[in-house]
This record gives sequence, structure tokens and C-alpha cells, in this order.
Amino acid sequence: MAGVIETSGLTKRYGGVTAVSDLNLQVEAGQFFGFLGPNGAGKSTTIRMLMALQRPTQGRATLFGLDAAADSVTVHRRVGYLPGDLELYPRLTGRQHIDWFARSRGSVDDSSTQRLLERFAVVADRPVRELSKGNRQKIGLVLAFMHKPELLVLDEPTSGLDPLMQHEFENLLRETAGEGRTVFLSSHELDEVQRIADRIAIIRDGRLVAEDTVEGLRRAAPQKMEVWFRRPVDPAGLQALAGVTVTSADGPRLALDVTGEIGPVLRLIAGNDPIDMTCRPADLEELFLDFYRHPQKKAVSHAG
Amino acid sequence: MLANVTRLDLRLRRRSMIWYAAGMALYALVVVVLYPSFRHQTSLDTLSGSTAAALFGITGKLTSPDGWLNANIYGNFFPLIMLLLTVGYGAAALAGQDEDGTLALVTALPIRRRVILFQKAGAMAVQALLLGAAVAVCVLIGRGFQLSVSPANTIAVSAALVLMGLDFGLITMAAGVVTGRRGTALGVGAGLAAASYLVSSLASTISGIRPARYLSLLYWSAGSDQISHGVSALDFAVLLVVGLAALAAAVAAFGQADLS
Repeated sequence: MAGVIETSGLTKRYGGVTAVSDLNLQVEAGQFFGFLGPNGAGKSTTIRMLMALQRPTQGRATLFGLDAAADSVTVHRRVGYLPGDLELYPRLTGRQHIDWFARSRGSVDDSSTQRLLERFAVVADRPVRELSKGNRQKIGLVLAFMHKPELLVLDEPTSGLDPLMQHEFENLLRETAGEGRTVFLSSHELDEVQRIADRIAIIRDGRLVAEDTVEGLRRAAPQKMEVWFRRPVDPAGLQALAGVTVTSADGPRLALDVTGEIGPVLRLIAGNDPIDMTCRPADLEELFLDFYRHPQKKAVSHAG
Repeated sequence: MLANVTRLDLRLRRRSMIWYAAGMALYALVVVVLYPSFRHQTSLDTLSGSTAAALFGITGKLTSPDGWLNANIYGNFFPLIMLLLTVGYGAAALAGQDEDGTLALVTALPIRRRVILFQKAGAMAVQALLLGAAVAVCVLIGRGFQLSVSPANTIAVSAALVLMGLDFGLITMAAGVVTGRRGTALGVGAGLAAASYLVSSLASTISGIRPARYLSLLYWSAGSDQISHGVSALDFAVLLVVGLAALAAAVAAFGQADLS
């Protein structure tokens, strides 16, 4: 199946600084794709290259099979975009913004725009300079969604929204995905996307460090074990086992991350007179933070 | 009907555009209304010919209608206000809006970059034309105040100064696209305009500068007494070619520019 978004070897350098390096992504039609990474990881630079605001130093990005830069007019007609640091014209009202963007796009259904305005309780009749960050962000969301685009490219879309509006936005995303439209959403917060994303890619220092379904990432997460022994034990034996990392050794208590087979671990524990043990899968948040902290940790997967 | 980007930028600059035009028109009206009070004070004519007078754009007899208009409007104040308008907009239109973060929303619309740039050049032309028309009308009103200058020359010099303003505005716009910085673009545009003004005004009294006057866009618009002799086809051609070259440079640079 052809990807709605495809990047191959996408690279962006600013002088000697590499912002995005050799990025290969494929987002398929109807998919909700979460693009995660810490601040400064290269998410916004990638999105700017997808929107042809910036030119790749190397590599290529295509949307709907068209070159992001060379065919930008055709591509932009089918895309709704919300920039990461949304800036509007301070003197214009929300309504004036919406009218201007509707005229520029040509075919925008007034009634669907009105529904969005009501749904997000947009303050449309006051100059943008008088509005809070959250209210400006709501105008940005209306501008991105109002022409019912086939693809939504949203860079940190919930920034500034209150929890109620975040919830409403999440519902809108579910409806959008339900209509078979594609969503590419960047965030630095896992929680924001894990509930609705079909696939997640994690980028750090400009490089893709993981890409999988939410379930796939969850399955790859290590088992978190905690063991209490009758007396202090030497963790070296456990540490030597394949797929085992001793994360804490505190006298008779050991904490382990286990990604390999559990049998050898249990046998070694049993021989050291254990008195109690807990075992649980790592939650995605822990896995996610682990990717943030350890760039060398590569778990790139294309299974889907 | 004006294009969408042109309309947006004109709307954003509506107040400044009106104030520029109204202020310049008021100033021009005061100048023409005062002319009858000064036309017989021939002692003023002794000012002409000095380097100091040349610095202020004063050439020819100050008490003649042409000299009065050159000394008070066409040789200094009108070009200055025109340049403030066009260079200011040239820096703000792309580099400034990119720094403000608003350009990304416009370039993410289904509009070609070169069309965006053409429409912004159009917005600049509308602002400059409004200012030029306001001055021309007020100067023509001066015919009722014994300020009898050729209507054709008045309109031609006003048009030439509009073109001169557009040239510097487009050069500033191109500098903004290349550097991505509003401040740098302003510096380039204002610096070139100041040099152009100095060269054009001092060339009449300092012989060493005289050959350089051909490099000054002021010289080709109002600096060689066009209000008396008219604007030649060569004058217009130079102003047009420079403007088109600056526009082409801006289009080429904007096509490849990285935006924020």
C-alpha cells in the first residue's frame, strides 16, 4: 500500500548541526501516526520539510506520492497544517483569519467551520492579540480542520489547551481517523498519543530510535522484577545473564529489567533463598523515557 | 479585484498606509499653499548652489515653482517618506512575517511561493501608488496657488518616485529573503537608499561625485530636475529594469528559502 507520507533518507543540516538524519518513515492512508520525541529532537524540522517550508539537505519526502516541495500546491490543497509555534495576525479576529483562509483555499464548507467554532468554543470576534494561548490554538485547529483535509499534519496541537478542550480535540481526532483520514501528530508527551495512535515513531537527536504499533512497543517493553532475599546477594550472576539489567542492588533487594527468557533468571533467583518477588511489564511511559535517555537503544521495527 | 495575499497585507497595514498618505498630502498642501508667500522673496535663491543646500536636495531657483517643489517635496521629503514606506514594507513582508511566524501559515496554503511574492510586491505597489497619487493631486492643486508646474511633469515625477520607492522596497525584500532577517534587510535597503540620496544630491556641487550619480536611483527619478524637464524614457527604463531585477532576485531566493 502506498504511503500517504513517505520519507527516504530525509536529512536536514544547519551548518555543522544535523537536525534530522537519514529519516525513513511511511505513514499509510487512514493511519493515526504519533511522532514523538523530546524537545529539540527534530520533530518540527521534519514537519517543516513535509510542508515544504524547509528544503532537505539530503533525501526526499513525498505526500500522496507527490514531491513535498515540487508539488507543494497540489499537496497543500489536501493537507491541514498546524505549526508548532502557531502565530496569528495580532490585529485580526479569529473570524477574519477563518474567512481569509477559507477564501484562499476556495472550497470550505461554512457549516462545518461553524460546527468547529462551536465545538471548541472559539472566541472568534476579538482581535487575536487579546486572546490567551489556548484560544489562539483553537483558532489554529479550526484553520487546520475546516477544509476537511485528507491528511492532517499537527505539530504539538494540544499546546495551551485546557483538559476539557484536550478531551474534545481527542474526540475530533478519533472521528477524523474514523472517517479514514490520515493524521500525523507530533508531541513530546506519550500520553497524548498512545490512546489513539495506530503507530508511533520516536525520534531523538534527529534519528529514528523506534517505530512500531503501540502494542508492539508495549510487547517489547522489559519485565520489571523486584526480588527480596533472606540475605544480601551479589548481583553479578544475574547481571551476566543475557537480556537482564540489574537496575538497583540494595542489600537483600534487587531490581531487574528482563527482556530475555525468564527461566534462567528464576533458576538463579531460586538458588539464592528468595523470600518475595514482584514482576510486571514496564509501562509505555517507562519505555518511552528510556528511549529519550538512551539514544543508543535501537528498537526500530517496521512490523505492523 | 486584488489578490488574497495583497488584500491581507493591505488590511494589516491599512492604518499606516492611510497615515503615510494623509500626512504626506497634508504636508504637500501646506507647501503649495505657502508658495505665494515666498515666491517674491528672491533672497532665498541665494541658498541654491551651496553644498549645504544640495544636501537637502535644493537645486535651481528656490522661488520658481519647480525649484520650490524640488526643495520642499520632490528633492527630499517625498522620496524619504516613500522610502520609509517601501523599505519598511519590503523588510516586513517576508523576512518580518517569517520572524513573526505568520508566513508559515500562508506558505502552507495551496499558493505558489512566487505568487505569494508577486502579490506582496503588488501590495507594495498599491501603497506606493497611493502615496504618489496623494502628492501628485496636492501639487496639482497648487496651480490654484500660483504654483504653475507642468501637470505632465508632476505626474511623471511622482510616478518615477513611486518606481524608485518600489526598487528599494524590492531590493529590501530580496535582502530579507536571502538573509531571513528583517533587521538586516532594513539595513541593506536603508543604507543603499541613503547612499543613493547623498550621491544624487551632492553630485550637483561636488565634481568628484558627479560620475557616480548614474548609480543613484534618486538621480533617475527626481534628482536631475525632472520636475522641469520631464522624466525621460531612459529614466523610466532604468527604474523599471532595476525593479524587475530585484523582483527576479527575490523570486529566485524565496523559491529556495527555508522558513520557520
